[in-house]
Amino acid sequence: MAKGYRQAPGKSGDKKRTDGKRVAGQQDFGVPGSGGSDPHSKLQDLDYVPESVGGWKKQPRGPHVHDRHVTGMTIGKSVPLVDANWKMTGQAQYGDDIRLPGELIGKILRSPHHYALIKSIDTSNAEAMEGVFAIATGQDSVNKFGVLPVTKDEHAMAQDKVRHVGDLVACVCAIDEATAIEAMNAISVEYEVLPSIHDMEDGLKDSEHPIHDRGKYHIGESNVQKRVFQQFGDLDGMERAPYRHEADWETAGLHHGFTEPHAVVAHWDPSGRLTVWSPQQVPHYLHRALSAVLDIPMHQINVHRTFVGGGFGGKSDPFPHEMCAAILARKSGRPVRINFDREEVYWINRGRHPSRIQMGVFADDEGRISGIETDALIDGGAFASFGHVTTYYNGVLHTAPYEIGGFNYTGARVWTNKPASGAMRGHGAVNSRCAVEVGIDAVSEQMKVDPMTFRLANLLPPHSRTITGFRVTSTGMRECLAKVREQSDWDEKFRNLPLGKGIGVGCGFFISGSGLPIHWDPENFPHATVHLQCDMDGGVTVHTGAAEIGQGSDTAVAQAVSEVLALPLDMIRIRSKESDTAPVDLGSYSSRVTFMNCNAAIKAACELRDKVMKAAWEITGYNPDVLVLGDRRIYYKHDPAIGVSWLEAVHKAQADVGSLIASGAYRTPPMGGVHKGAAAGLAPAYSFSAYVAEVDVDVETGFVKITKAWAAHDCGKALNPLAVKGQIIGSCHMGMGQVLSEEMKYGRDGHLMNPDLLDYKIMSVHEMPDVVPIIVESNDPEGPFGAKEAGEGPLLPILPAVCNAIYDAIGIRIDELPVTPDRLHKRIEKHCRKLGINDPLDLPVPRFEAGPLQKKLADRADEHAKRDHLRDIQEDRSSYVNGVLFGFAPDKPMAEQKEGWREAVVPTPKDLADPSKRAARAWGHVERRHRGDD
Amino acid sequence: MRMPPFTLHTPDNLAKALALASELDNFDWVAGGTDLLPNYKWHLNPKPNVISLAKVNELTALSGTVVGAMVRIHDLANSEDAHPLIRETAATIASVMIRRSATVGGNICLDTRCYWFNQTEEWRRSIDWCHKCDCDTGADCRVIPNQNTLCVATYQADLAAAFIALDATIHLASGAGARSMPFAEFFQLDGMTRNVLKTGELVTHVTLPEDAKNWQGAYQKLRLRETWDFPEAGVAAAWKLEGGKITGLRVATTGCESIPGDHSEMAASAIEEWSGKDSIRELSEGVRKAVKPVSNTYFPPAYRRKMLRVLTRRALAPLEHL
Repeated sequence: MAKGYRQAPGKSGDKKRTDGKRVAGQQDFGVPGSGGSDPHSKLQDLDYVPESVGGWKKQPRGPHVHDRHVTGMTIGKSVPLVDANWKMTGQAQYGDDIRLPGELIGKILRSPHHYALIKSIDTSNAEAMEGVFAIATGQDSVNKFGVLPVTKDEHAMAQDKVRHVGDLVACVCAIDEATAIEAMNAISVEYEVLPSIHDMEDGLKDSEHPIHDRGKYHIGESNVQKRVFQQFGDLDGMERAPYRHEADWETAGLHHGFTEPHAVVAHWDPSGRLTVWSPQQVPHYLHRALSAVLDIPMHQINVHRTFVGGGFGGKSDPFPHEMCAAILARKSGRPVRINFDREEVYWINRGRHPSRIQMGVFADDEGRISGIETDALIDGGAFASFGHVTTYYNGVLHTAPYEIGGFNYTGARVWTNKPASGAMRGHGAVNSRCAVEVGIDAVSEQMKVDPMTFRLANLLPPHSRTITGFRVTSTGMRECLAKVREQSDWDEKFRNLPLGKGIGVGCGFFISGSGLPIHWDPENFPHATVHLQCDMDGGVTVHTGAAEIGQGSDTAVAQAVSEVLALPLDMIRIRSKESDTAPVDLGSYSSRVTFMNCNAAIKAACELRDKVMKAAWEITGYNPDVLVLGDRRIYYKHDPAIGVSWLEAVHKAQADVGSLIASGAYRTPPMGGVHKGAAAGLAPAYSFSAYVAEVDVDVETGFVKITKAWAAHDCGKALNPLAVKGQIIGSCHMGMGQVLSEEMKYGRDGHLMNPDLLDYKIMSVHEMPDVVPIIVESNDPEGPFGAKEAGEGPLLPILPAVCNAIYDAIGIRIDELPVTPDRLHKRIEKHCRKLGINDPLDLPVPRFEAGPLQKKLADRADEHAKRDHLRDIQEDRSSYVNGVLFGFAPDKPMAEQKEGWREAVVPTPKDLADPSKRAARAWGHVERRHRGDD
Repeated sequence: MRMPPFTLHTPDNLAKALALASELDNFDWVAGGTDLLPNYKWHLNPKPNVISLAKVNELTALSGTVVGAMVRIHDLANSEDAHPLIRETAATIASVMIRRSATVGGNICLDTRCYWFNQTEEWRRSIDWCHKCDCDTGADCRVIPNQNTLCVATYQADLAAAFIALDATIHLASGAGARSMPFAEFFQLDGMTRNVLKTGELVTHVTLPEDAKNWQGAYQKLRLRETWDFPEAGVAAAWKLEGGKITGLRVATTGCESIPGDHSEMAASAIEEWSGKDSIRELSEGVRKAVKPVSNTYFPPAYRRKMLRVLTRRALAPLEHL
């Protein structure tokens, strides 16, 4: 076709520039049949197109590799989630909404004992009951499973022993719930009760009946499930440090408290395939586990993720009840549905680990952090779940955002006879981060330096490496701190408020996607894959396995595709529910979805775009280099009247190449160190955040009320600011629960006392402070359009910010979470006694007087700000690793530069000498395989 | 979790309700249902019959001195006629949604609560039950083992404290006739029997003394969250001022023991020689000593006792300078 294919202009749009600037997209074109609900093509929104490609969007941190894919459609705009209307109108189908004809109701018989051998199970009475279709016990399912391949220690139902109250023993399915309950109660089980372990320190000791048997890998005869040791840096410097804060933290176990209890439906269809509907964060792992447990190939299973009524990590394991439903469905030949009561939700748990963390933060005369020393003992409950990783995360995730002289971490996770702990929003990082940030606050107090200044003078710059070798790309830490400092009037308020009123700061650092896929080598298989298909209607269907769990992953992926193809969001259809149609995706954990899936989606969309652009080239006669992709229209850059509608181009492309499909995948780049455990905490990018919280403390009752929080989070680039703000505010609420009220309380006999939402105290709207969400965009070079995570990281800083604010208000250092009124009241009483004060209203309040280091650190912070800016805009490309602040050269191995520089992952006897260190005791055991007695 | 099946009876006047009650041998009254139905779902002593009072219109009187048993807590909290202390107390109960259903009578007759009792059937099986709901096992108390006599479950209703502080009278009715008594005497020191209601008897209304309007008061409540949570401790105080002098002072507590506490004698002797802050401090200490909570609710008992002192002081703060 000849050059100059022209379209008649349509009615003009509503967006007119009056400031004399070039008019975006030049003209409107009415394009009948262009697709989309608005028949008219919109002007290109240059406010959202970066400067680097001719738009007006400022780029203070320089251009991004995805700039050329920006069309100004949706990226950076606050759009409601694409599935919001389904939820708002009550039409979204959650786990419990799946109803199949002929369904049976399944019920699970659970252990009434903490720890017991099963001597016998008699199901005959239950089997004889009318309306009972099938009963299954551990004998029906002997294959092990578990979310991590290295620690598979779960069964659908107990094999020979039950490991906690609520552990699964048997299951039944019947015609209705009443019959199923009756049948469940008719099963008689004979137990032999074993001595149970409830205190995590008891788990460190040798036991006559360890809760699990790891065979030759078993650590001593103890209940230690995992132990970690990492020593990096100049440990002598830590020992010599003049400023130090050492605290012994106790943090309670938490549950995610999601709205929707677990629910599952399983059905073997007439073609012999199994479909399982479940509100899963990680459908692919469930897919694998079902295959292993049921002994059927994966292609015979379709995992159907329903709408998820909140997950927060609590729906990311393959669960035994999901296996039970499948087993019962196979036995009965009918669909089986199992719904949990709230108590069962607490019994399956997988929430935050109860922890005892000894945290030392050290600083030298120059106001540098000479090191962080951590000994973390975490209580894993009865199963491994994600605990292998959690044990690492409790240490390795505080090697940033600060530059540190040394890092000395010992961690251990033990089994106890409690519901299993697992992954929960901010996985493994939250408790120890709180302890680090409180330590930093205490150390800066000792050195008479404002804690803001102390932090600003010790930040790792962009494009650097942490002490254990994590690759930091973008960081907006500095800007986060600066913003909350300014907006909260920090300089006026800090240490200046009256008794009972306080202000505190805390920072956070979190992975944006786990660098290594759990199940395979990233060299062979990608982390995420997205398929696109476009048919004659011009709309694009996106096939992705990313699990939408309310965090907005469907929307993020839709936005990425919509942006590249310049199509309105309503022309993008997301199909992310079924494993039959979705490419494999690792699921919604480790804050990986936006980063990895959107990257894959951008690749796929570019491939599709290129096909359509080629067709447009043939129609218009202009090379794609000079064609612009606007709203459902492709036109000549220098004469927008020359162009072709999206639909015409799509039809032409289909005529030329047949079906219009495209695929994109994401893999992490090679990175990280080679030491044992180097992959834990490794991520293609990291998020950073800084919060300031203001509190009111009632010194007579110990009640703490958070009155306001300024919450700055560096998410790289807010693809959807509305969603990012929602995540920040939601994180504040969840973190506030952990710091002030939420805990799984175990009674004197080891029973969980509050497995319900009345006594598990999630804060209500009355307690919610005014949160000011502040988005910081550090423009990550590898993130999709610069984006990083915003789902978990924003939770971290609220805890230490509140703890530090409590100190500011009443002068008491927190080392126990949650800070419930009774606990704080006890501390206040003790504090008063120590000071010889009768009335807590007479308590002195900490005040600040700047010491000589203040000016020095403020100057250093200013210098570093300039340094960081140059690195941000890539003008300074010199390499930077943790240690440069301490005078090391970045390109030479540290050990060559300093004698005594440690890089060890196995402790020496000297490292374990301190008997007060708990996790270190786990290293006192010898694995069976090394004992020569197996 | 399933509600155990029961037969619901809905008499439309008091006489029918009482007649029905004398016919049925095993039943519960239900008013708003916000306490009874969750307990039923947990299979806590469910009965085969439930008599609803929803349609009984005789029990909804509400004025400055009369409060009917079927008055909704929400209506009480928003009533212009009700005594300000009663209104203030009612407004702190549970949450807006619960107050819309819950009634005054239901709140007064609230079942006592305990960490070892308010749990699901499966949970209670795992502790071998307890004597408040022993499922015919003869189980012991789990809070204070080896004393299988009294139940120490906690009475966690707010209104009782305010009614006692205002010297209210409670009125009961049954097929055998009506009776009334001072409010505090309605309760019995046992978490299982709880109060003096006989089978087939119910609370009809509460009356305040004629001069109640001359009494002012305050209610202070301890709970973790400002909504939903039951009181972990509650102090109601009421006083009468004449010519700048305190001529009457009554103090009552709730949320700490199996029954609400009436500390009015202590309060009466305190005003004989009132000296502002010092008297308040002394009285607060007296209240703390008089009440002995046990470890069966969210906060530890030692803390709840100490907080009684603070709550009493805060409730009496308006009398500081007298």
